[in-house]
Amino acid sequence: MTEKRESGELIGLAESLVSYGRVNGSDEVEVSIIDDSEFSVDVRLGKIESLVEAGSRYLGLRIIKGKKTAYASSSDLSEDTLQNLVKNAIKRADLANPDEFAGLPPFSDNKFDFTSLKLFDSEIRKLNSKTKISLAIETEKIALKDKRITNSHGSSFETREIKSILANSNGFIQEYEETFYSLSLGLQAGDTDYKVEDFWSSSKRHLKELEPPEEIAKKAVARTVRQLNPRKIKTQKAPVIFEPMMTSWLLGLLFACVSGVSIYQKASFLVDKLGEKIGNKRITVYDDGLIPGKLGTRPFDSEGVPIQKIPVVEKGTLKNYLCNTYAARKLKLKSTGNAYGTGVGPNNFYLQAGKMSPEEIISSLDKGLILTRTIGHGLNPVTGDISRGAFGLWIEKGEIAYPVSEITIAGNLQNILNHIEMVGNDLEFRSSVSGPTIKIQELTIAGE
Amino acid sequence: MLYNANIKERIAIPLENLQKILNIALSSGGDFSEIFLEYKMYNSINMEEDILKETAESISLGLGIRVISGEKTGYGYTNDLSLEKIKKVALTAASIASGKLQKNSSFLNSFPIKHNFYPVLNPAHKESLEKKILLVQKAYQTAQNFDQKIKKVKVSFIDQIQYVTVVNSEGFMVSDIRPLIKLVCLCIAEKSQKREAGFSGGGGRVGLEYFQSELKPEEIGRDAAREALNLLEAVLSPAGELPIVLAPGYSGVLIHEAVGHLLEADFIRKKTSIFWNKMGEKVGNDQVNIYDDPTIPHFRGSYNTDDEGTVPKKTPLILKGKLTGLLQDRLSAKLMKKPLTGHGRRQDYTCMPIPRMSNTYLDKGEYAPEEIIKSVKKGFYAHKFQGGQVEDSGKFTFSVSSGFLIEDGKLTVPVKQATLIGTNVDILNKIEMIGSDLVFGLQTGTCSKEGQEVPVTDGCPTIKISRMTVGGME
Repeated sequence: MTEKRESGELIGLAESLVSYGRVNGSDEVEVSIIDDSEFSVDVRLGKIESLVEAGSRYLGLRIIKGKKTAYASSSDLSEDTLQNLVKNAIKRADLANPDEFAGLPPFSDNKFDFTSLKLFDSEIRKLNSKTKISLAIETEKIALKDKRITNSHGSSFETREIKSILANSNGFIQEYEETFYSLSLGLQAGDTDYKVEDFWSSSKRHLKELEPPEEIAKKAVARTVRQLNPRKIKTQKAPVIFEPMMTSWLLGLLFACVSGVSIYQKASFLVDKLGEKIGNKRITVYDDGLIPGKLGTRPFDSEGVPIQKIPVVEKGTLKNYLCNTYAARKLKLKSTGNAYGTGVGPNNFYLQAGKMSPEEIISSLDKGLILTRTIGHGLNPVTGDISRGAFGLWIEKGEIAYPVSEITIAGNLQNILNHIEMVGNDLEFRSSVSGPTIKIQELTIAGE
Repeated sequence: MLYNANIKERIAIPLENLQKILNIALSSGGDFSEIFLEYKMYNSINMEEDILKETAESISLGLGIRVISGEKTGYGYTNDLSLEKIKKVALTAASIASGKLQKNSSFLNSFPIKHNFYPVLNPAHKESLEKKILLVQKAYQTAQNFDQKIKKVKVSFIDQIQYVTVVNSEGFMVSDIRPLIKLVCLCIAEKSQKREAGFSGGGGRVGLEYFQSELKPEEIGRDAAREALNLLEAVLSPAGELPIVLAPGYSGVLIHEAVGHLLEADFIRKKTSIFWNKMGEKVGNDQVNIYDDPTIPHFRGSYNTDDEGTVPKKTPLILKGKLTGLLQDRLSAKLMKKPLTGHGRRQDYTCMPIPRMSNTYLDKGEYAPEEIIKSVKKGFYAHKFQGGQVEDSGKFTFSVSSGFLIEDGKLTVPVKQATLIGTNVDILNKIEMIGSDLVFGLQTGTCSKEGQEVPVTDGCPTIKISRMTVGGME
């Protein structure tokens, strides 16, 4: 089912709804259409568990009338349903209150260079189901050869092909296509009552960039077995090294706190901090949606605002909040091209790499924790307070001594940003939020 | 609303065509085929910064076709309901099997729902937007006027109506209509540079009458404001191992994470759950009785039929400390040769059903709540929770947004933001006292598993756990 509706047909539908909205009394209209095809296969213990192949379409609509906003969406793309939705939205807009900040971004005559962004990989149409299934089977098979692995959560291979169309009444009309591939594996090791588990996965826009089965199996095994025979440690304050995935998690929290929506809602500890030092000189964070081929790369945001490279924190100084058009107007700023659905989201949000290798960082530590995994919730963006269940490796004299589990780490993001002592050189864009290994001077670790 | 008249038409596919599609789905030799039809309407209202900012309406329409062949499942879905397209989806799902048609689908018989667990007086989707806006405004104004320190309020109302029909090759056909509403309030309080957030809400599979008779919007606003104000006075949580008392209601999250997930049959069948070889064994003391009940009237997690057409049953998971039951879906029940319990749920037509919880709770015990608190010399009282997470190995955490210190048998200093962590088998054994005050948490919860979100509730009485690691800062 990889057949696509003719692209002209969907663009035509978007355009006709924009004018239908205008004719029926809306001042501004925005229509977005997503046409999505997915394939996924899950295998476990050498056998296929499930295979999904499907396509779906989804239409989103924004109506602004007299500075009053109404949204609608539908997966039913029949003409009468959509026209009714538009008319109903116009009626609903009347019931909202006028909001001087509401409205579409102004028209920009931007020329988009879709090819240089490398969003689409045509291999996707050549790849047959057999190859896809065998990638997943192969990955798990390699891992299960390791005798320390006692069970498998299975391996999955997934592909997605998405066409996005955006049209608005200010004259914007564009479409682009993108592809995604991902291969993942989850494992367990240890006896029944003392099981440990972890996973590894690779997600890319281009098949040839995907980590091969051997690599994924190797990493999933290593990550799982290194947790075997964990100890509990005493409650204490100690230095903590964050592995890149953990740094990404921390940066996700930072993103929530620099999001223009959190700022105007006063739901962030970074309110009124623009231009101020919010961390030490080691911290430089960008949001750059123009890096070719990365997962968060896109030509324009969900309102049609062109993407740029935005400095968020430079050497510890907060430079920009990340905004959609609405949040920007509220804060008397410019949209940074971070509109994502009706809210705000990251493009490629990352902490700039430093010079030290992860090995150097670890060997610098006399005593402390390498944080490898967290579970649970536990961020309060309003205060920056963090508290999570944690897993890690205990370091003594620069070397890994033993794994630890059933601990929690707690700290405050504000404080952490001021106490990052080392930044690693191992930045990889594994998701739309990424960072290298970092060392933090001290966190509270709760154990026994 | 505009669409009521033609909902039936939207997902009405003539019986003979359904029969045809089920057969196409079996054409490569699958053992079982099924069609899940869904039509869902959703409305939301959002108020913040003193204005009614926006409303939204959403329509979701589509079907999913599943074919089971041995242990394998093929799945396809579409929101294009032309017969030609549906046949294609059926063929795709069919290809999970590789052989010839074994037997045709049985003749379809419609099974009416026996019990309606959510009869509703004033279905929200039929009520005017103005009426719903009024509810939002009431909660908003109450929160805002509660105290000068309340600086931001955000209130949302969401209503949803989901029409589902399940037909399968065993000749079974059943439909359910599921209303679901919620009103939620978030407040931010400020005092000398300090800022804290409070949250409250309510709803369920109810009509608008709920906000008159059960829970007034004003109460939701007050509750959220009160929490934000309380947190302004709270200190950082202690860190280390302490005796814990869990407040009734919100603490049900612990039961959901520490017990419920690990008794979902797929994890047991795959032997990834730490419980897989412990059925019938004693895992907690005699006071511990845990149930999952999809039939509690008007609860968020309830349903008249699960998403595979099975009649739901109140299912005991732990009785007198012994592991007794599992949450089953069709696939796991068949492979394990166990009876169905009606816990096969899915987020929507794009998803395969998997074993899920509905309304999960630890049943009441015999101790008075005050007696439990009095028994602790120095400990931690966990009051409100943001959520939790568990992995199959039994390690779980849950995040406490507010609590108190217990000193000499009394609640003293308010405490904020802490994480509790433990291993389920260990914690079950450490439950020392169970209160007589069973309460369910807010009717606003959602559970996520394998990327699928479904509405759930959970509940518990006051509980004392002898020791548990509290992750705080001090």
